[in-house]
Amino acid sequence: MTPDYRRALIDIIAGAENWRVWTRMGWQEIRRRYRRTMLGPFWVTLSLGLFVGGMGFVWAPLFKVPVKDYLPFVTTGMICWTFTSSIIIEGCSTYTSAESLIKQLSLPLSMLNWMLVCRNTIVLFHNLLIAIIVYAALGIIPSLNFLLFFPGLVLVCINGVWMGILLGMVSARFRDVPQLVGSLVQVMMFVTPVFWYASQLSAARANLLLYNPLMHLIDVIRMPLLGQAPTLLNYAVVIGMALTGWSLAIFVFARFRRRIAYWL
Amino acid sequence: MASLELQNVVLDYPIYGASARSFRQTIFGRTGGLIKREGERQSRVVVRALENISFKLEHGDRLGLIGHNGAGKSTLLRMLAGVYEPVSGEIRVEGRISPLFNSIPGIEGDDTGYENIRTCGMYLGMSRAEIERKLPDIVDFCELGNYLALPVRTYSTGMLTRLGFAIATAIDPGILLLDEGIAAGDARFAQRAEKRMQELMERASIMVLASHSTALIEASCNKAGLLEAGHLVAIASVEEIMETYQQRTQPANAS
Repeated sequence: MTPDYRRALIDIIAGAENWRVWTRMGWQEIRRRYRRTMLGPFWVTLSLGLFVGGMGFVWAPLFKVPVKDYLPFVTTGMICWTFTSSIIIEGCSTYTSAESLIKQLSLPLSMLNWMLVCRNTIVLFHNLLIAIIVYAALGIIPSLNFLLFFPGLVLVCINGVWMGILLGMVSARFRDVPQLVGSLVQVMMFVTPVFWYASQLSAARANLLLYNPLMHLIDVIRMPLLGQAPTLLNYAVVIGMALTGWSLAIFVFARFRRRIAYWL
Repeated sequence: MASLELQNVVLDYPIYGASARSFRQTIFGRTGGLIKREGERQSRVVVRALENISFKLEHGDRLGLIGHNGAGKSTLLRMLAGVYEPVSGEIRVEGRISPLFNSIPGIEGDDTGYENIRTCGMYLGMSRAEIERKLPDIVDFCELGNYLALPVRTYSTGMLTRLGFAIATAIDPGILLLDEGIAAGDARFAQRAEKRMQELMERASIMVLASHSTALIEASCNKAGLLEAGHLVAIASVEEIMETYQQRTQPANAS
């Protein structure tokens, strides 16, 4: 192992080991959102709730699906989409937004990536409140399959960290990247079955959809919330993404980590 | 026992966002390092910030770095802190590095004084228990009393400086890296701050201090190094270096 790789791995492991620091950073950020507002992070939840309510009212009849089926579907879809897409979008500013910390302290850089995933997980649990309300209102009790939500969440988080390392680095070097990623993610929301059903597409198109990695990332957490088990393909793709993504991230991190401070 | 050793360390500083074409030729001056171009089409601008630096420090050593603006003092400190990595040469560190540069990083305006003490303490490498143990001392020293329960954005500049200083000087440094000393509020506070700074320096096993103030270096260091355009011209006793420094600056003043 070359010294570059050793340093990169030490950074990633030390970053994870510093969980006391990054969980605190994540919580403080959430607390800051609570200050001087009544709802704090629940504002995201509220706007998500309104969105889901509106969608349920209009799109359920449009799709000719009973509201009782559509509402849980769109609710869980939007919650999981918000979680995943926020990690990707915020991942771009991981390093650029922490310039003063990076230039003045000797902290492992990867700590910032762990922090990002931690903060978004806290927000996710806020948003799950809508699902609970919707389920309670409709009198739905999810099957035990919902326990699969937790391993799914771990898988998404593991993917989130490598995405943050990679996107954070590329965005620090090329300042156009955050804008590009932002636009792409916005488009992806419409070509990912978040609020429409994959089954509504023709078989050929639905097969094409299987190449959309975001669908798999979302399904491993959304399906359990709907009381269904994610498919083996979902898991295979997500685990495959984690393996290739981490390899790529470690490769790039080892080669260019030392440059990050200069890019800022 | 802490030790710090540098062998033939070279540091290049790549410049981004500057068009290479604006540098018609490589420029060499007294301020800053050598600017040169790299890459296949000479399209990358690189500043040679530190050239061939070697020295060794052991427990009890206090090194004062002196030199013109842009001579590489702060860059050297940042490299020792691990922010910048050298392109060649070797840095051997034994012991914990505690960098303390201009301001206290990570202060959040919307957080209360107490919250900031805990967060910044963690950034500076203190454990939870260590912070709780030192909290009374920090609270006592900054004399901010009940203000500590308010968001720090309500503080005056002086109050913020006090808070930052109180946190920063509470650490137990291994190898202490200081840039220009740290600012400290009003006259009465400055006096107490000086004493506290002294105590911090004494707790450190090794200290590296970059400063323009010959008085500060004479008062707190046992070794000094003169940096000029990225070169470590000499490293010796404080007296000798101050003499060399005076001699080297004299002709510049005369002309």
